[in-house]
Amino acid sequence: MALHLNLLHEEILEQRQRQRDPLKLGLLALIGCGTLMFMYYSWNAYRTLEIRSRLSAIDRSWSKMEPSVTAAQKKVTELQALTKTVRALDDYIDSRFFWAPLLQKIARCVAPNTQLTSLDGTLDDAKGASITIEGVAAGREPRAAAEDLRQMLSEQLGHDYSEVKVEFKSLEDLDTLVNLGGTHMPMARYNLAIIFKPGAQAKPTPTPPQTRNRRKRDSE
Amino acid sequence: MSQKLSKDQIKKLGLSIIGFVFLVYVYFNFFLGPLQRSRADMLNKIADRQNKLDTAQEELHKSAKLEQNAKDGMARFTALRKINAEGAPLAWFPPRIKSFFANEQIDKAVARLEGSSELKQEELSAWLRYNWVIDLPQTDYVMVGRAIADLENSEPLLVITRLSIHATPDQPQFQHIELAATSLIEKK
Repeated sequence: MALHLNLLHEEILEQRQRQRDPLKLGLLALIGCGTLMFMYYSWNAYRTLEIRSRLSAIDRSWSKMEPSVTAAQKKVTELQALTKTVRALDDYIDSRFFWAPLLQKIARCVAPNTQLTSLDGTLDDAKGASITIEGVAAGREPRAAAEDLRQMLSEQLGHDYSEVKVEFKSLEDLDTLVNLGGTHMPMARYNLAIIFKPGAQAKPTPTPPQTRNRRKRDSE
Repeated sequence: MSQKLSKDQIKKLGLSIIGFVFLVYVYFNFFLGPLQRSRADMLNKIADRQNKLDTAQEELHKSAKLEQNAKDGMARFTALRKINAEGAPLAWFPPRIKSFFANEQIDKAVARLEGSSELKQEELSAWLRYNWVIDLPQTDYVMVGRAIADLENSEPLLVITRLSIHATPDQPQFQHIELAATSLIEKK
């Protein structure tokens, strides 16, 4: 058996020990990890910078838009208030009671043998309209003439208004006689109370053409 | 091959582990942590701003649409405001009524202010209700009926609340007429 001598044994051992030095290996691992961590950090920092630039872009566009948005909000509030006001005014206008159609109806109910001496009408939001008519009626039976007027008013007003009530407050015979169509007729004085709700609203009367001049000429 | 670590090597290994732990601690607490927190903050801010921008866009769109829709209302409002003249109502309303009835061939017309009051509706808080008494001492039923029809058609903000017609004893062809009217007039 051949004798084999290794004179460098100690040196080789030392070299091996140096290579396996845990501190050196640890430092190498540390440097490796540190590099990876740095790269990861850099990637994150890059993304953060990107987000920051996005944020500043959004901030810029918001600051550009903010005054117009504030103005728009103010405008919206104003427009909403204006719309409500117009609606309220329209409601007010639409719920008006028109007296002209009522006067026209009353005029149509008055026969030649009846006469109105006074008319008082008031309008109340809660109670409705109440009208008092005073006048005289003439005929062979003046009370019947007054009753005819009452019935006619009740019928005519019932077409356009609701809850119509036409009642005599008073009806009395008068001693005086009136000449009606060449005959002397007895007279009666009546006082009618009319109550109704202007619920079924009447339309305003279209303005009739002026006939004033013709009437003047007729009377001349 | 298994060789036991020497005491010196164990010491160095421990030192390396401590160094590593320290490095990880410093990295996460002083570098990556704040960076991620700031990034999360910015993302929240972006979401918030984006939300605001979206709402703002909607608001602008809504405003434009409302403005378009409210054109008729605005025109109507302007028209209703124009019905009433500028200045104190007492200065312009009676002359206007006088000239209105003069155009209706009713010469004697006097309008008196009875008072004014606030309206109950909140929407009409900028408007006042003026109560007037209009006296027509010498006219006739037909003429006044026509005049009232004209008045009701031409003055949408005026409501007649009371009407009184009485025959004039010494002039049977004429009647004495008194109207109580309420008109809405914008506060100036």
